[in-house]
Amino acid sequence: MRNIVKQHNPMNSPIHTNLKKPHLVIIGCGMACGKLLEALIKRDAEHYHISVIGEENTPNYNRIMLSPLLAGEITQEALILNSLAWYEANRITLYSGEKVIHVNTDRKSLTTDVGTELCYDHLVFATGSRPAKIPASGQHLKNIFAFRTLKDVEGILQVVHKAKKALVIGGGLLGLEAAYGLALQGVHTTVIHRSSHLLNRQLDSAAGALLQTSMEALGVNSILNDEVASFEGSEAVKTATLKSGLTLSVDLVIIATGITPEITLARQVSLACNRGIKVDDNLLTSDANISALGECIEHKNTTFGLVAPIWDQVEILADRLIYSRQSPYVQRPSPTKLKVSGIDLFSAGDISEKTDDQVILIQDTASHIYRKFILRNQRLVGIVLFGDVQGGNTYFELLDSQQPIPHLLPPLLLGDLTTHSAIAESAHLGSENDLTGATL
Amino acid sequence: MTTQIIKTTCPYCGVGCGVDAKVENNQLIAVSGSKDHPANKGSLCVKGASLHETVGYQDRILHPTIKNERVSWDRATHYIAEQLSQVIEQHGPEAIAMYVSGQILTEDYYVANKLMKGFIGTANIDTNSRLCMASAVVAHKRAFGSDTVPACYEDIEHADLVVLTGSNLAWAHPILYQRLSAAKQARPHMKIVVIDPRQTASCDIADLHLALRPGTDAYLYNGLAQYLIEHGYIDHNYINSHCNGYEDLLKQVSHQTLSDTSHICDLEDDLVSMFYQWFAETERTVTLFSQGINQSSSGVDKGNAIINCHLITGKIGKVGAAPFSITGQPNAMGGREVGGLANQLAAHMTFSNPQDIDQVGQFWHATSMAQQEGLKAVDMFEAVAQGKIKAIWIIATNPLVSMPDSESIREALTQCDLVIVQDVSLSSDTLKYADVCLPATTWGEKSGTVTNSERTISRQRSFLTPPGEARHDWQIICDIAKEMGFNEAFSYKTSADIFREHAQLSALRNSGNRDFDISELSLMSDQAYDNMPPIQWPINSAYPKGRARFFEDGVFFTADRKANLIPIQPKLPAYPATHNELILNTGRIRDQWHTMTRTGKTSRLLAHTSVPFVEIHPATANAFNIQENSWVSLQTPVSKYIAKATITRSVRQDSVFIPMHWSDFFSSHGKANSLVRPIRDALSGQPEFKHSPVEAKSLNPRSQGVLISSLPFSPPSYVEWHRIPYEHCTLWELMSEGKTFTLSGLKAYYPRIKDWVSITDSNENFLHAAGFIDKQLTVLLFSAINMPSIDQPWLLSQMGKTIPLLSRHLLLTGVPQDSTQACGKIVCSCHQVGENTIINTLANGNACDIDTLGELLKCGTQCGSCVPELKSLINLHQA
Repeated sequence: MRNIVKQHNPMNSPIHTNLKKPHLVIIGCGMACGKLLEALIKRDAEHYHISVIGEENTPNYNRIMLSPLLAGEITQEALILNSLAWYEANRITLYSGEKVIHVNTDRKSLTTDVGTELCYDHLVFATGSRPAKIPASGQHLKNIFAFRTLKDVEGILQVVHKAKKALVIGGGLLGLEAAYGLALQGVHTTVIHRSSHLLNRQLDSAAGALLQTSMEALGVNSILNDEVASFEGSEAVKTATLKSGLTLSVDLVIIATGITPEITLARQVSLACNRGIKVDDNLLTSDANISALGECIEHKNTTFGLVAPIWDQVEILADRLIYSRQSPYVQRPSPTKLKVSGIDLFSAGDISEKTDDQVILIQDTASHIYRKFILRNQRLVGIVLFGDVQGGNTYFELLDSQQPIPHLLPPLLLGDLTTHSAIAESAHLGSENDLTGATL
Repeated sequence: MTTQIIKTTCPYCGVGCGVDAKVENNQLIAVSGSKDHPANKGSLCVKGASLHETVGYQDRILHPTIKNERVSWDRATHYIAEQLSQVIEQHGPEAIAMYVSGQILTEDYYVANKLMKGFIGTANIDTNSRLCMASAVVAHKRAFGSDTVPACYEDIEHADLVVLTGSNLAWAHPILYQRLSAAKQARPHMKIVVIDPRQTASCDIADLHLALRPGTDAYLYNGLAQYLIEHGYIDHNYINSHCNGYEDLLKQVSHQTLSDTSHICDLEDDLVSMFYQWFAETERTVTLFSQGINQSSSGVDKGNAIINCHLITGKIGKVGAAPFSITGQPNAMGGREVGGLANQLAAHMTFSNPQDIDQVGQFWHATSMAQQEGLKAVDMFEAVAQGKIKAIWIIATNPLVSMPDSESIREALTQCDLVIVQDVSLSSDTLKYADVCLPATTWGEKSGTVTNSERTISRQRSFLTPPGEARHDWQIICDIAKEMGFNEAFSYKTSADIFREHAQLSALRNSGNRDFDISELSLMSDQAYDNMPPIQWPINSAYPKGRARFFEDGVFFTADRKANLIPIQPKLPAYPATHNELILNTGRIRDQWHTMTRTGKTSRLLAHTSVPFVEIHPATANAFNIQENSWVSLQTPVSKYIAKATITRSVRQDSVFIPMHWSDFFSSHGKANSLVRPIRDALSGQPEFKHSPVEAKSLNPRSQGVLISSLPFSPPSYVEWHRIPYEHCTLWELMSEGKTFTLSGLKAYYPRIKDWVSITDSNENFLHAAGFIDKQLTVLLFSAINMPSIDQPWLLSQMGKTIPLLSRHLLLTGVPQDSTQACGKIVCSCHQVGENTIINTLANGNACDIDTLGELLKCGTQCGSCVPELKSLINLHQA
């Protein structure tokens, strides 16, 4: 067993290992990892020797941009967040395309599937998530894809030019972005969604209906209140049969029904897990030498799928790892935005109305503008903006700060933010609610 | 294209300014003051200067109707003639009444008077001048033996003391005020005293303002007479040679001490004696009085109390010295000349002289000469209500708004058998009660003469084609008269024919025994009539070029040719305000005229004051829990007035002031006169408009706001409203104490509009909405518990425009959104940074790459999806 630090350097880069530096190892090379690396280096580039082990064959890339990549709007290079050169320049060792298969928490060491063995002083799980499964039969057929990795998209892009009819399973953010990508490639695309309206967790039914109309204009149809029961075909998928009995002919399927925290390794290592790897307020797992962040964790019964809270976690963790500063991680609501060009939507907070809630609605049917504000005890608790998202972050700050706002109505909600800015200044809201926590 | 300048006169106030109308292709394109007119010498006030904006044919009555159905003129004329003849036959001539106006021309007035008094056979013809200067007429007659205005406008300029009493000259007679103001500037020693419970705009140039207790003017002037007598300032020679009744006057006033006066008038001794001393020692004193004196239950007495002071000091008939009644309307004086009032005969002859009646009857070849005075306005409408009058013919006036106790007028007209309304504007409230409606011509279309407050006769000339089937008032009256069988007496071909007859009548057996004599004009040719320059009556052999002043010689028109001093017992208003009541005062505002049927047509004149209001003193407002701009109800047991409060120290604590102009067309409860009791002076019949006890109540709106609509709108019954017409739309101020305005309600009112943008509140605390037809802004509503703060001029400017789809909901803020703030298409969704913001930041050189953009704007710092787009923007727009 090779000890301590790397013998195997896939990039052949000269690494000046300082044995006195503690060794920080990060499992997972996704967006959380990438951001954490930047945060660590920004604080102190010399503090740790850092190694990163990633299953995918690429350094960190921007997963959020898979749909524009699918749509052909950008090239693969534009996705890359931290290039190999960057790793080299920052003297971070990257084990790309390797999968950790064993961790010995007593000895604080780990082994990968290609035999790399590393000892760590501190280990970070940033294993992210994997696509959620659906119960439909026939998922082994060809041309059925997930929409999670660059590899998924490469696979789709290989067949998309031959495809005529595509199905996207899941009318959430990811599904809609995938569907948009397919539609832009000229494929007739239909979204199958279990709920009665699209983005049902972020939008109310009226905004969902507007979104559906806007998606239709982009070439994406929707079938609501339905699920795929089975896929049929001999080799490649040919049809999909829905629970309602409807059968659709299809030659490309993307399943994007959500994500599940990737905790296989963590469970194997006996880290305390529920849906995700359980972490405390310091993002420490049940093992004092192992931290975790991102989509793989569960903090106070919550798992994460948006970048904003993960960026918060990055800052908390970087502070602890570099400065030994323990500032507890506090979950904050984060707004949702859809990354589909031509469709502006913004949603935040609790959008399920209660009986005594005050609901303020701005509607312009012809312009497809819909803005809904839910107030409880004179405070903003839920926001849905469709068509015009101006002021969204300001409203979000008001939602976050829970200050009473009736005196600002209605100009504030119409987009006249001048009324608010004076108040925001006096309350120093602007800086407190910087979602990213720091300028990167 | 032909351009013509037509010389005419302004149709508004009693100053009677000359107007040069610039006409191109039958269109009035501009107006300016006539430099050669003696009244204004080139100036015009804002109302006059806006005349060309009010002559549009919108809101005009275009065709005769009977019971709302269009009929031919022949049919209408025949119908009226038949109906009137039937009423005469069945109920006698006293069952017919005519109610006319100081707005019509002397020729119209003349034939109306002739028809009623000489042919129908009743003197039941009265005019809205009854509401204006009837008290002054009687005061003049009692003192002078004739209804003579002794002075001319120049006297105001020559005076060393001008007392404005019960006159807000600045707003009611702006050009005369300008002349006064200029004179004071030229001769700074000139003193101006304003006597008015209110601190009006006229106080701006005053040396002294006496804000006396409302209605106590007669005490003040009796006190003045007493002061003049006690301190030896009277002119004994003048009294002995030219006045009767001095002893009685002395007896009447001598017991009233200065402190009595100050106490009852609620004034400080010093200020009262200052005024008295100024009056006493200033030879050239003009006392200019108007509605504050006339509109009173003892208006005649008040007029005489003033005249008494001038007579005992000999301050009359001299340059710069006279009591001077100034009339409200452009042709109130013309009406007085022809006998337009029920208690006048014609040409300043009277029913009290049987010889006069015979003379006029013979002159007219009257078939049924009235033998006695008729019913004055208030009595006339009471007789209508009682069913004594079966047919009333209303010409060019809106009594439903202008008469006191509007509700009773409404009831009277509703149950009257035959209501004929001969008018111009569809927005007249009175029209709603018409059985027969006759379209008349108006200013610009009519041709004839008017007489202003200084007795100057001026021509109004026609230069516009009447719209639809509108006819001149005199023609309509003559046609009906002829249809009734009075062919010969009414077979005039032109208004000049009528004027000549009017002039002849003034000469009838008039050897200087009547003041009104224009005999020099009785033979004038049509051409001379057409070219007639302004001229001041009398115009007779003694004064062929007119006469500036009467009574220079101390000779009056009484039997003994002496003026009468009238001892009067001052009376307080008929209804004092009880505890918890306030005294309602009413009056004109600067830019509106009467019931707004003309001035309400131009937004320029609505800009100064566009909605009715309640002026209230801060202490009183506090006591009644009334805030600035909050809704207030003023109430009497029979009616209410609802408007917003203007808190001002210009009104006394015991009073409120409201404007007189608003009608049911312009507001739900904005008729000032609905609060006025039908109390009138026993001698003049003029109502007590200036003193009505009312209760004040602060209202609690559940919803209030503004609706701007290009489409017709009728407010629901639960809403209080004010209407402000603009050229292409109408603005409605709305208030509801009970229900709120709802989007569904709004949509129901506008079924034609399918395209709405709205902001709604489930608590119904506010609703803002905009409706579009073919993408053009057609309706806007802003409502909330508190009045939304909106930029009305800007919103009005947006009406009818096509608003970009994506920004039209921003209209609902009610204020223009700074376009430089518009961020453009969103590039960074996470931080909502728009393209324009990014481009501006780059172009300014504030940022040059992804990192600096991120530091400044945060764009690209969260999910990073926009980074490629940012890069391309950097390439394109880097400074």
